[in-house]
Amino acid sequence: MSIDTTHPTHRIGAIQGSGPVVWERIEALLHRVIKPGRYVGGEYNSVHKAWDATDLHICLAFPDLYDLGMSNFALMILYDVLNRQPDLLAHRTYLPAPDMIAAMREAGLPLYALESYQPVSTFDILAISTAYEQLYANSLELMDLAGIPIRSANRDVTTPLVIGGGHGTFNPEPIADFFDVFVIGEAEDAILELTGTFQTTRHTSRDEQLRALAQIPGLYVPRFYTPVYAVGGGISDLTVADPALPTTIEKRLMPALPATPVAQLVPNVSTVHNRAIIEIHRGCTRGCRFCQAGAVTRPIRERPVAEIVASAEAVVQQTGYEELALLSLSSADHTGIDTLIRQLIDQFEGRHVSISLPSLRIDSFSVELAEMLSEGRHSGFTFAPEAGSDAMRRRINKDISTEALLSVAEEVFARGWRTIKLYFMIGLPAETDEDMEAIIELSHQVRQIGNRIGGRKTEVHVSVSTFVPKPDTVFQWEPLVDEETVERRQRILKQGIRGRGLKLSWNAYSATKLETLLTRGDRRLGALVERAWQLGARFDAWDEWCNQDAWNQAIAELPSEELRAAFPSARALLDHQLYRRRQPDERLPWDHLQTGVEKRFLLQDYRRSLSGELLTDCREECHACGILHHYRDLQTEEWRCPVLT
Amino acid sequence: MSSPDVMPTTAAGSGRHRITFATSRTLAYLSVLELGKVWERTLRRGGVPLKYSQGFNPRPRMHFAAPLPVGCGCSADLLDLSLDEPRTSKALYDAIAGVMPQNLVVLGIAPVDIHARSLSELLQEAEYSVWLQQVGEAELAETVAAFLKKDKILMPKRGRKYRGKFYDLRPLVKSLTLDPATPLPWLGLRVRVMARPGATGRPDELLRALGLADRPRRSTRTRLILDGEGPPPEAVADGE
Repeated sequence: MSIDTTHPTHRIGAIQGSGPVVWERIEALLHRVIKPGRYVGGEYNSVHKAWDATDLHICLAFPDLYDLGMSNFALMILYDVLNRQPDLLAHRTYLPAPDMIAAMREAGLPLYALESYQPVSTFDILAISTAYEQLYANSLELMDLAGIPIRSANRDVTTPLVIGGGHGTFNPEPIADFFDVFVIGEAEDAILELTGTFQTTRHTSRDEQLRALAQIPGLYVPRFYTPVYAVGGGISDLTVADPALPTTIEKRLMPALPATPVAQLVPNVSTVHNRAIIEIHRGCTRGCRFCQAGAVTRPIRERPVAEIVASAEAVVQQTGYEELALLSLSSADHTGIDTLIRQLIDQFEGRHVSISLPSLRIDSFSVELAEMLSEGRHSGFTFAPEAGSDAMRRRINKDISTEALLSVAEEVFARGWRTIKLYFMIGLPAETDEDMEAIIELSHQVRQIGNRIGGRKTEVHVSVSTFVPKPDTVFQWEPLVDEETVERRQRILKQGIRGRGLKLSWNAYSATKLETLLTRGDRRLGALVERAWQLGARFDAWDEWCNQDAWNQAIAELPSEELRAAFPSARALLDHQLYRRRQPDERLPWDHLQTGVEKRFLLQDYRRSLSGELLTDCREECHACGILHHYRDLQTEEWRCPVLT
Repeated sequence: MSSPDVMPTTAAGSGRHRITFATSRTLAYLSVLELGKVWERTLRRGGVPLKYSQGFNPRPRMHFAAPLPVGCGCSADLLDLSLDEPRTSKALYDAIAGVMPQNLVVLGIAPVDIHARSLSELLQEAEYSVWLQQVGEAELAETVAAFLKKDKILMPKRGRKYRGKFYDLRPLVKSLTLDPATPLPWLGLRVRVMARPGATGRPDELLRALGLADRPRRSTRTRLILDGEGPPPEAVADGE
């Protein structure tokens, strides 16, 4: 496969007229590319409204392969929410694989939406998922392939309004120059407020339009917020362009979970998670100190069992899917999970529909749930102890003892599973090489249990990733562990975790470093993202396509005046952004975007972490994280926060 | 309905049906497994009680006559399916008519004796229409004539385990002609190939042999010829 690793030579020019790309131009490329079914649309339940009969056209984009994007449930929800509005039309696009990108650039074919083959540049709004950092360079590639200027400053009302959303927006600063608006938090309501304001301001200038949009709660328009940098590289202040604008932006939160999209898109080609999805609850109360998803999605809101069961029937009828996944951050924490599973099993009895339950806890109850759903198949069971020793697990607030874990492992093997996958992190705060020995020992103990109960055919797969200190978590002040330490610890693990029935996999440090840089960086890194993309960085999540050299070169170049002024060398840049412990009183690049979980609480819990103190599940007692204080008016009976007296 | 139905009553319909269907455009770019999924999901949406195999990984009892190559649509392909409860062909059609994906068309459904031979056993030959662009008419005619003159055309076998192995494409191509009825801007070929287990001609392989694999194309399988149907009169093979 040919991969375009240089700055695009075939630029997509201005789009002629506003009609759709004719099918024959697309068809003419399809025999040259792998898996052409990604580029043609035609999914069952895709929505085909008349272009001219709708007032506002919005293109939802996932900036990676169709195979991944079709499995993204956030976009599925927004597709449903938007298309329910009679005057709106929402279509979809994804980033083509490198072979198709090259073919499209060569043929001068702009990126188009799959429903209508309308060029993306002819939509009013382009909404790009910025769910995680590996999508950032791809977002630029997507805009460029659409023929849209990548910098917000270079766009006006003749180009689509480019908005971003997803967990990445809790620190969107490294990509703030490329997006006009970010939706902070849950977008189901905010997106409609955004489209409404867009409609009433479409005849004004882009700047005026953005000023109006910036008044909507939860919408962040980066051009109106300018960081002020201090000597030494930190951020001293944030200036706001207009006194009418808020100085901080609080995330949007749905009081109760929105209705499940029932007519879910059914892809024709295979995708990563090719199944129906029902979100059973949102948020997590476990309080793992490294976990950004758990922190930014609070509070926990639970969908009632009866509603899930009714939706399950409707979704399966309308999609024909043979698998239904119950989505959440921790399935077994749903208070009605046992009843739910029993009812779903009864309901789909004999209909060849399987139920899957990702994100199980390490306890007997979870094993029982998995057993109920296994239909006699026992392929693999996944545990995420995250750390090898009890002490380290207390530090990260993962409340499971080695003893308990081993007893659950025993139960898993006894019930017939042959493989246990163990997920660990290395590079955690205050970790030493001795912690590697704990991971090795635990892996061997689980392996021995497997051997004793299930015999030599049992296996333990150990997956070790490197800890990334994420914004808005208890560990947000922590530095990234250095490369030498990670490589040494990985070597220790490689030596210790081997032998029959043991498999080990790990992450490349380069990927961890890039993720950390983009998740914690400030706005000055925008120049670096743009430069890396120019040098060919894209598909950072793909081993076969990622271009580490492009990133390294971009970092080495310090590709802007601002970066060169602040950092004497690339090393100084990395030290500042990655390798130093941030001060509790320091202004962090994401401080103006608020999750509702207060910094005060995070700091308190950080101190608890240092002394190895566990924090209980907050459904049992409120730890005053700040959510109830900030969002009390939105509280419904779906919330699982304890009642405060 | 006079049918070879073996189910107890004709009113209850049959436990096995043969569907004649067409796919085009968006559905022409699927692998055979993906097209199978499209059918399985369509049938589940329609509430059709498909029969499944036994075991830990039950598969629907659904069998195509032959896999369609990726990038190839069809105008009369065949699919046999077995049901848990008998249905009439009409009831089956009514169940799925409203839940079909774009570009999948059912042309006919007929009951089949549950003991009848499978489609893959019955299949003898297949006809394809291949439309091409970026090729001149004279060039195409010449290339086709040169192909037909040869007695042997060795092509590398597909798949890793056959690396370094070749097969002879020429005897698999029963006929190959230019199709004067092709609409502009296309130039069309009509090709008839063998379609027996271990002896299957593929249109994409033919294009490779013709040196035309890099040209934009639109391929459609136009006909499947089953044992007992006999070759139609116009199909007396060229070049034989």
